[in-house]
Amino acid sequence: MKSITPALASERYRPGGGLRRLLSTYRTEMAIAIAMVIVELAVGMAVPAALSGGNLTNVMQAAAPLVIMSFGVLLVIITGGIDLSVGSVFSLTGMITGLAMAHGFGAIASSMAGLSVGIVIGLANGALVTFVGLAPFVVTLSTYAIAGSLSFIVTNGNSLPISDPNYWLLDSGTLIPGMPNYLLWCLLLLVGIEFSLRKVVAGRWLYAVGSSSSSARVIGIPVNRVRLTAYLLSGLLASFAGIVSVSYVSNAEATAGASLMLQSIAAVVIGGASLFGGTGSAIGALLGALMITIIQNGANLIGVNSFWQGTVTGIVILIAVLLDRITKARR
Amino acid sequence: MGSQPGSQPYLLSARSVVKHFGPTSVLKGFDLSIARGEVHAFLGGNGAGKSTLIKIISGQHERDGGTLEFDGEALGASVGAHRDAGAIAVVNQELALLPHLSVAENIAMPRLRRAARPYRERVAETIAMEALSLIDPRFARESVRRRVGDLTLHERQLVEIARSLGSGAKLLLLDEPTANLTAAETGRLFAVIRRLVADTELAVLFVSHRMREIRQIADVCTVIRDGKTAIDRVRLDRITDSEIIECMGQSIVPDDSAAKPGSPTPRAAARSDVSAAQHGAIVVKHAHISLTVAPGTIVGLAGAPTGPIALIETLTGAAAAHVWDVTCNGVPMIYANCAAAARAGVGFVSGDRANKGMLGTLPIIDNLMAARRIVERRYFARNEELMEGMGLIEALNMRVRSLWDLPSTLSGGTQQKLLVARWLALKPKLLVLEEPTRGVDIRTKREIYALIRKMAAQGTAVIWWSTEYIELAELCDRVLAFDLDGRPASVLHGEEVNEAQLANATGMAA
Repeated sequence: MKSITPALASERYRPGGGLRRLLSTYRTEMAIAIAMVIVELAVGMAVPAALSGGNLTNVMQAAAPLVIMSFGVLLVIITGGIDLSVGSVFSLTGMITGLAMAHGFGAIASSMAGLSVGIVIGLANGALVTFVGLAPFVVTLSTYAIAGSLSFIVTNGNSLPISDPNYWLLDSGTLIPGMPNYLLWCLLLLVGIEFSLRKVVAGRWLYAVGSSSSSARVIGIPVNRVRLTAYLLSGLLASFAGIVSVSYVSNAEATAGASLMLQSIAAVVIGGASLFGGTGSAIGALLGALMITIIQNGANLIGVNSFWQGTVTGIVILIAVLLDRITKARR
Repeated sequence: MGSQPGSQPYLLSARSVVKHFGPTSVLKGFDLSIARGEVHAFLGGNGAGKSTLIKIISGQHERDGGTLEFDGEALGASVGAHRDAGAIAVVNQELALLPHLSVAENIAMPRLRRAARPYRERVAETIAMEALSLIDPRFARESVRRRVGDLTLHERQLVEIARSLGSGAKLLLLDEPTANLTAAETGRLFAVIRRLVADTELAVLFVSHRMREIRQIADVCTVIRDGKTAIDRVRLDRITDSEIIECMGQSIVPDDSAAKPGSPTPRAAARSDVSAAQHGAIVVKHAHISLTVAPGTIVGLAGAPTGPIALIETLTGAAAAHVWDVTCNGVPMIYANCAAAARAGVGFVSGDRANKGMLGTLPIIDNLMAARRIVERRYFARNEELMEGMGLIEALNMRVRSLWDLPSTLSGGTQQKLLVARWLALKPKLLVLEEPTRGVDIRTKREIYALIRKMAAQGTAVIWWSTEYIELAELCDRVLAFDLDGRPASVLHGEEVNEAQLANATGMAA
């Protein structure tokens, strides 16, 4: 008797070693990495300074907050949800941190106050989505609006200088000699999240919930807990990104995160995740965030009118999604 | 009526279980007792409450009343209250698979119960290999690493069953597990069940509409009718098929009610009408096989799923024609998509009721009118649609409370009738059916047969894929049999259309 049709048998996985499996797992990510290098080289042809160590460091430093935020958004998108509140969480975190410092709290206490923004809003998002059963888009759109307006309310719209002169160390200090801290945060989070997603049961549960939440429930996966955790982590990481950014800029602005929400979703999508859930990787999100930053940086160096940057980014998102579609169709 | 000696407590006892969905009460005080180490057949008509009870036992639905005792402990009523133990495994009619994940991970997933534990792909693959090899070693080797989303429906069913078999549960709830299996796979599944039952005292609750399967595998049966226990734990060797069927529904329509002499049957009418019928006949050609489907005739498709599916996709415009050449009066019937096919007079009822049949979020009236709106390019809902809808519901004796209810409030059989009813008033040139009677009780099956005959009598050519040879034998003038590789093997005519010949031609026993 036959249970496999000839057509299906030909496309089955071939048993192979670890490297082969790794290559097939990360094929989307490798494609983005190659595309990113090509884009950066193209920019470098036009403006050789783009490839200088100094500029690449700038790109990394500018990308760090987006990278961190994208990791959080990724977790939610893997479960099939969406988090639109991250940009506002980012801004409000900066304002609360700055406010706490202005009131004489130390750097650590102020940072904790800032992180609590992400925890509170993340939990609120998660609870409303999982236990009340509201649509993630609507819930996080509401918290986006609320947190966004609160960022203005707390200081009546004024920006706050960061009073602790050593606060910049959070971003640019070196806990490990030779490696600036923003790079350290990104690497730690990348390794931690990618490892958890692939090699820890909890990570697999995120994919399971995103793949089919009803099936996941029947299988016995604690779907509510998984979803809640994803939104909590997304809020927390958006807050952390906000703190890292504030320490870099040394100034808290109510509008700081305004453009980041769409950029972080774009980064996750460029990185190969599906908005329907069930797919995506931290490496992809990192590469997606870097890609967006490189394009902006390149456009600035070449002297493209900044009004065009959105068009370029939009086209890149479309190309990434189309290429992904084409390669999947061929497989 | 209990026959098991009461010396040992039952593994599961359900007492007076009650369940409502809104105002509809599905279970009205149902009792069920399952002993360790038995295969317990659970029978009942369509909509009698079988699937609901299974979901209550497995913790997917809350119950509204009654008690459940499992392995000496009372089970809470809330959803998921008793899932964590992993002692009750379930295969629902709707498969609970994760399409983005690999076969291995799907099978291993229920065993990963701690969030902070490491996940190892190799371990998952080993678990999956063991479980899958019980049913089909070759499929196991070839498929553990494939994504479940890339599998066929039939292969997914294997994965789902393998997962439940390998779960180490004490009680296995199987809701029509064999619906998509071949005879060989069913045979292996039964062998595994017997072995597990003998070795581990596993108890199995087995739902099927196929009496022959039930006789093969089950020891005891319980029959549910109208939400209540009609037969409680009777040994199958002490009861006949007709006694069981009698208990399942008050009025079973007799076997040949639709084809009674008096009025000529559509089958006979079509035969006597052959010369006239040739005009407008649809000719289906493959390399060496040609089949003419005249208006008013019912032609069956039988055999391994891939063959019929390829032909059906060509006929309905779902996929580009590669191997099949379809013409009507010499004109090729090639359609860019299903809508074009529908407008050209090709009706289609998909076997994938949930995903390709019902519009789950739209009320019944929209579901009934879906095809008509496409065919007639109706862009606005019209008032007379309500009359048309009421007419269809009355004509087909469908149990529908309101045209504005969602289709999910209907039983599976009524939903299936609704899907066929979509095409009734349109009088299509060709109607293509994919297993319209799958998972439907005997009485509703009869009604669907009558409906198909009625459409044939209107002059529609019917092409019907079924895995049940008995019904093909009963309804079809001719059957196109496919071999196990999905190639058309032969066309059976008239008296050749019987179970033995069909099994021979397709390589699959019924």
